Amino acid sequence: MTTSTPIADERIETYLRRLEAALAGVPSADKHAILREIRAHILDSAAGTPGRDAVVARVLRLLGTPEELARRYTTECMLTRASRSFSPWLLLRTCWRWATLGMKGMLTFMLALVGYGTALALTLAVFLKPFMPSRVGMWRGPRSLNIGVPAHAAGLHEVLGPWFVPVIAVAAFAVAIGTTQALRWLIRSRSPNTSYQIPRTTLESAQV
Amino acid sequence: MYMATNSNGDRGQHWEAQLRKGCLEMAILASLWQSRLYGLEILRALAENSHLDVAEGTLYPILSRLKAEGLLQSEWVEAEAGHPRKYYWLTAPGRRRTREMAGAWNEFAAKLAALVQPVLVGKELGGKQR
Repeated sequence: MTTSTPIADERIETYLRRLEAALAGVPSADKHAILREIRAHILDSAAGTPGRDAVVARVLRLLGTPEELARRYTTECMLTRASRSFSPWLLLRTCWRWATLGMKGMLTFMLALVGYGTALALTLAVFLKPFMPSRVGMWRGPRSLNIGVPAHAAGLHEVLGPWFVPVIAVAAFAVAIGTTQALRWLIRSRSPNTSYQIPRTTLESAQV
Repeated sequence: MYMATNSNGDRGQHWEAQLRKGCLEMAILASLWQSRLYGLEILRALAENSHLDVAEGTLYPILSRLKAEGLLQSEWVEAEAGHPRKYYWLTAPGRRRTREMAGAWNEFAAKLAALVQPVLVGKELGGKQR
């Protein structure tokens, strides 16, 4: 056992309090496991070494700020959960988070927006059809095919008729499922370490 | 260690950092091949047996993800130090994945080694070039 030093202990407690606050979205059991493990790590690193204050300060620096550390945990946790989820909301939020980490995440987020946006628009058309039967439809013009309510109906004719609701409902469902599967696949196949943006300063100080 | 000595130094260092980062997951899994270890032991094993300088703040979230993916399992063990330590070990799928990664790595490294061989030989001969 090392003799405890008030300055180091105070630093550790402050760090762990900030980490706990930053891990707000993480399930309680996981949060406690993380805090316990990080505490054990700091104590083990500092055990049996002279100059405990300096060692603790160095270990805390290598861990990154509590907010950075929490972000690495939560992003990983989110990506793992999302890759197994069918919830468009969770997938969208995860892609948004991923988008902040790089190009692939950004493109995935755009795919998510376009895919779910299309599914939503088609669903809306299905629900509007009974209220505006003569205006909502799949309209064919000389050089166009539109689904929805055309601004100018002149020169257009509706092609689906009574089949509009079932066909478009199935299409909306298919687009939503397709988008979900594509996102899950993209998240799963992400390169394993993309979410670890090791700050340059951390890398350098780790090499000392 | 690679030191920046010219205008390309920064890029070279960046490339090396990326390379190390990419190998990290395999290195962590491989460090657990022979025994159960806790976080600090994994860090020390990596520092001793490879040139991977892993920051603590990087290791633990990766361990947490590998566990969530079912490649690792963990258990808290009471220690003399006065606080419990979280030990990790490879699950059966984890062992499979580690073996696959090691195989792929070996093949890749061997091929690249053959490719860069002339470069290294050229350097040893004092850079005889046209």
